[in-house]
Amino acid sequence: MQEGTVLPAQQVNRDLLRSILDPPGWFWPVVALLGLIVLVAFGAAGYMINRGLGVTGMNRPVMWAFFLTNFVFWIGISHAGVMLSAILRLSKAEWRRPATRAAEVLTVFSLMTAVLMPLIHTGRPWRTIYWIYTAPFVPYDFARGIWPNVRSPLVWDPSAIFTYLTSSVLFVMVALLPDMAVLRDRTTGIPHRIYGMLAMGWEGNSRQWKFQIIAGILLSALILPVFVSVHSIVSWDFSMTVSVKSWHSTIFAPYFVIGAVHSGVSAVAFVLILLRQVYGWQNYIRHEHIDGLARLLMFVATAWFYFFFMEVIFGFYGREADEIALRSFQFTESPWNIWMMIFVGSTYFLPMAIWLVRPARRNLWIMSIACISVNIGMWLERFLIIIPGLARKQMFTFDWGTFRPSPVEIIIIFATFALVTMLMLLFSRVLPLIPLYDIKEGDILKTEIQIGRRTVPATFRED
Amino acid sequence: MAANQAHNAGMWVFPRAEEVSGDMAAKSRAMPRPMVAAITVSAILLVLGIIGFVARAVDDGFTDHAPWGYYAAIFSFLLMVTGAAPLVALVFRFTKSHWRRPLSRVSELFALVGILNLLMFIPLMFVLPAINNPGAGEEAMELRRTIWFEVPIGAPHWWDALGVGFLAVLGLAILWLASVPDLAEARLTSGGMRRKFYSLMAGHWFGTKRQWEMQKAGLAVLGAFYFMFLIWVHFIISTDYGQSLIPGWKDSIFPVLYSLTGLQASLGLILIIMFIMRRWGGYQEYIGISLFWSASKILLGLSMLWVYHVFSFMITYWYGRLEVEQDILKYLFTQSYGGMFAANFFFSFVMPFFLLLWNPVRKTAWGPALAGVAVLIGALLFNLRIFVGAFNAGDVYQHALNGVPPAVWPDIWDIFMVVGGLGAAALIYLTGTRIFPLISVWEIKEGAMYQRMGTFIRGEYLILAKPE
Repeated sequence: MQEGTVLPAQQVNRDLLRSILDPPGWFWPVVALLGLIVLVAFGAAGYMINRGLGVTGMNRPVMWAFFLTNFVFWIGISHAGVMLSAILRLSKAEWRRPATRAAEVLTVFSLMTAVLMPLIHTGRPWRTIYWIYTAPFVPYDFARGIWPNVRSPLVWDPSAIFTYLTSSVLFVMVALLPDMAVLRDRTTGIPHRIYGMLAMGWEGNSRQWKFQIIAGILLSALILPVFVSVHSIVSWDFSMTVSVKSWHSTIFAPYFVIGAVHSGVSAVAFVLILLRQVYGWQNYIRHEHIDGLARLLMFVATAWFYFFFMEVIFGFYGREADEIALRSFQFTESPWNIWMMIFVGSTYFLPMAIWLVRPARRNLWIMSIACISVNIGMWLERFLIIIPGLARKQMFTFDWGTFRPSPVEIIIIFATFALVTMLMLLFSRVLPLIPLYDIKEGDILKTEIQIGRRTVPATFRED
Repeated sequence: MAANQAHNAGMWVFPRAEEVSGDMAAKSRAMPRPMVAAITVSAILLVLGIIGFVARAVDDGFTDHAPWGYYAAIFSFLLMVTGAAPLVALVFRFTKSHWRRPLSRVSELFALVGILNLLMFIPLMFVLPAINNPGAGEEAMELRRTIWFEVPIGAPHWWDALGVGFLAVLGLAILWLASVPDLAEARLTSGGMRRKFYSLMAGHWFGTKRQWEMQKAGLAVLGAFYFMFLIWVHFIISTDYGQSLIPGWKDSIFPVLYSLTGLQASLGLILIIMFIMRRWGGYQEYIGISLFWSASKILLGLSMLWVYHVFSFMITYWYGRLEVEQDILKYLFTQSYGGMFAANFFFSFVMPFFLLLWNPVRKTAWGPALAGVAVLIGALLFNLRIFVGAFNAGDVYQHALNGVPPAVWPDIWDIFMVVGGLGAAALIYLTGTRIFPLISVWEIKEGAMYQRMGTFIRGEYLILAKPE
């Protein structure tokens, strides 16, 4: 498994800090282009707020559409950070080392982007402040004497997401401390002061390392339940609704979580491939790492497919006429049946066919296709859960309609991808996207042993 | 360095490759007194089970499924636990976990119990109600709720039997393929009938490079099939004999929970066996604490997943406030089988969770084994609750439960059948240990090559080779 050579610590610093200390020429033009796309989306959102939600494609009974699809999608992507970082850290998988930071940062930015979606979806985002405060620092409940329904999943949602965001930021910060200190020691002036402040007096003595490791392990263990709860709660936004027949399913929580991990890990694999190419980090993000991620994805994808199968088959199991009508609408009527085939093919069959072949797992172009394919599929999955379900909502429906996205929605959705990319790039400009200390630690633990006539790569176990 | 060595005392074991074969051959041949006692007790339990079965058949016949709830529960328990056990070895072999080596054979030997599962399934084919309602009226459904939508010929009875049978065959194939190198070696160290048997089983195995490659590839392919088949069989058995017999119970998470409980209980059982082998069986040279430490983390994870799935089910039903779902909750979770659910919850989650949460407990042999006992009891209660509940839930062709039926408690024949099933499984397994070495010799030898202690800075640490 071990590939690549052990590099001197100075070279590791030089290579991995290149994006900060010596940024490439394309950096600012690309950021400017992405910023422009985000600005256009802000314009579109402003137009929508000015004219009302009528400029979107939403119409009775489909009142949840692109924005909430995108919300669930980005929440899903955010699951990559914990999956890779916490679980692989706890299981001491060696190949995790270059992937953890990018995964954690992707978690933070995708969560922030996800939170924007329901805000935009409200149509009057400033009014959401009334959900919390009536006047500055006067909580809504106290001021009005009205208590929000704490049993509502719509109350659980923000609680879970903001807990996850807070703990993810903390997780990233703790892991960043040693690297901040490296940057503090290599910069001057204002950057030196900022990095110094963020490094919080890190000197790298044994006591600090001990605390940093303990904090990392504790946060890894504590963040796991939060990670599971976030997407479970998002899924319960749907499954608690008995009036939409395909939503009221007991499997939704684990099905959403495993789907989130599937899309999130695929996204991280794609981000790593991109980083390797654009920053020339071939010595750090090697084929073995992408291969390791692909193997993990094979397991995740199969588990996802099992949950998908259960979800669908139990839709028919009940022999309830309105649910069977909805399922046949999803599976047999155009255009939903075509989208359904694209969704299943791109989420499972195409990537699995690629991941089963070792040379394909180690071909970065083919792997990129597989990872993008998964994410197209997973976006479609959320779309196909939300729209057909609402379009054939049975109880209390007095109007029939479907959904066609408007240019406003398409622009905003497209721009969220630009926003996350831009934020990732900006992060790479100020902080390393591959943890320096983790790479160095991995190199120190590498060794070799003699078995017969062969010299075999080996590692010291940390415990 | 001294402190570090004390810290790692017993954590890793380094068996001498050249002594493993001889030691294992001697252990397979030996018949210690506790083993004789265990075989005798198992045989007595089996006899009780047969008496219970015959009495139940004479008393109630096979026309009504209700009296067979406890029989179905013990069948399901055995299928769930012993069916999932070979998968434990396969998964850890696939993920190249070095610590798994001593448990591989212990897990794969459970494939032998697959034959018992198939035999025990036969009476259940007769008691399962047909999908088509013979007396469909206005209130009842023409076809009961089932996963066999178009009712293919023989569904679900013969399809389920095919699944259970094929799973048994696949398990035996895996056991044979994984133990061929050891059987070939046993051929050289044994005599008489044993030698003939081992020669027959080992075939033309000489340990050539090609044969090793074929064995590795074969195990991978069979393992993939076994995994898919196990999940499928769990799905059909849990649905056909559990969920679909309770009117109104539509629960997509239940087959997942069933498989999860199976994996959890089988890992628990394997840990109990490893503990017994290490403590009393003379296998301490082969079984280090690292095995318990690593496996206990998986068991902890499975216990948390178990409670997560149960919670996901319960909250969806509770929140939905539909009468049909509230009745299911009352029947299986809060009223009729409420006490059994509480015990199930305690043994499957509370006890293993609070035991294994502590690293010092995980780093012992007794801690994970005790958690194993808990999850095994939890799995038994799970099956009793679900399958006895399912077999006694009333008319299976109704849309919903007719009120909340009372719990059904076992009579003497039910108890005989339950202990008899456990005894039969134990007897088959113990007999298997007399034939197959309980430790996978070739895997232990391979592991011995890959690990050694080395100095890192100022401490002694394990060095683990990663040849692939």
